[in-house]
Amino acid sequence: MSTDNKVHCIVVTPEKTELDTTCDSMVVPMFDGELGIQFGRAPMVGRLGFGIMRLKSNTGVKEWFVDGGFVQVTREGVYVLTDRLLKPEQIDGKQAEADLDKAMTMVSNSPESAAFKERTLTQARAKVRLAKSTTSS
Amino acid sequence: MANIRQLDKRRKSVKNVRKITRTMELIATARFKKAMDRAAAATDYTKRITSIVQDIAKSGTDVSHPLLTAHDSVDAMDMLVLTGNRGLCGGYNGSVVRAATLRRSEIKKEIEAGQMRVSGKRGVSALRFAGVPIEKTYTEFDDQPSFAAVAKIANELIERYITGKIDRVDVAYTKFLSISKQIVVVDTLLPFASLAPATNSGNLSPEAAKATGIKDDYEFLPSASGILEEVVPASFRARLFKCFLDAAVSEQIARMIAMKSATENAGDIIKALSRTYNRARQSKITQEIMEIIGGVEALG
Repeated sequence: MSTDNKVHCIVVTPEKTELDTTCDSMVVPMFDGELGIQFGRAPMVGRLGFGIMRLKSNTGVKEWFVDGGFVQVTREGVYVLTDRLLKPEQIDGKQAEADLDKAMTMVSNSPESAAFKERTLTQARAKVRLAKSTTSS
Repeated sequence: MANIRQLDKRRKSVKNVRKITRTMELIATARFKKAMDRAAAATDYTKRITSIVQDIAKSGTDVSHPLLTAHDSVDAMDMLVLTGNRGLCGGYNGSVVRAATLRRSEIKKEIEAGQMRVSGKRGVSALRFAGVPIEKTYTEFDDQPSFAAVAKIANELIERYITGKIDRVDVAYTKFLSISKQIVVVDTLLPFASLAPATNSGNLSPEAAKATGIKDDYEFLPSASGILEEVVPASFRARLFKCFLDAAVSEQIARMIAMKSATENAGDIIKALSRTYNRARQSKITQEIMEIIGGVEALG
């Protein structure tokens, strides 16, 4: 981490390193709610949910949509691993609704398939929720 | 003299062909560089995934996941064949198709069920010609495969594996080892053998090695096993994506080499044709002179 009490934030997707920047503090959407990270946070590995990641710095607050994944807090910095990093306005509400409908009809006749269905449902619901909140605001 | 004109015509057409192959070589070189950059950019993600897996392993959690466990009996298998959409790239498509059909005929003795999924127009037509039934085809992957599209296929395969529809997934593609070496391989991706090969590096990166030296007591949210549940599918998706990237890079290299040798060959043909053309022209000139001299002598 940098010396001037800043958080070094790196966002990696399977395609490339999307973001490599420093900020004063950041908020990541965890699986069970939001988590704030400031300089010097204890090392941690966490599962991300679907939602908004906020980076606060002198220039203001920047927002992105994080499509699940993980966050790893190390001495060197905060690594966010996600499948996709989108701007909130890039989310397609109709597509999200269609995904939710599809997930609803999935068959779950074993513990594994039930868990899989549950996860697909959560992902679709989060997107629908987010799409609604961005269109209403 | 029709012969001379024919030779000249042929030389001109070969020159045009050389221009085309030379341009194609240049295009392939540019695309190869782009594909290579993409493949290099994708390694960061796999590195981070490995580091998380190592952290989990260090915490003493039992590493187990439905994708990691092999099914008791293998009754159905899906096969994914990665070829190019376009030809003119030497033996690239042919060797992948050959490897895939060979593996298929081997396993068909024991395993009957399962789907054949083929990416790339060339592979689709070659396998159709060979009489292999194909369930799914993908033609949207070019020199820059997108992760979203690959993740869709990966999720389908994960779903089929977890729900017990299939017991194995094989992928036939061209693995990129270095710029001068690419080999055709048929890899078994599911059941996921171990998390280590997914990272594509048996050795730790210097950074990761340093990190292991410092004892960090990680906090896991929700728990180490909860994270593992997500890491394994993510790792599988990244692995499959790597296969697509490797195939894309290898295709461009194959095309580059094929077009380079085609250009060189065209050069050789032009040289040989020019020589024959010049000889024919010279003999024609000599003959004309002889005729003139003969005519002058007859008059004199």
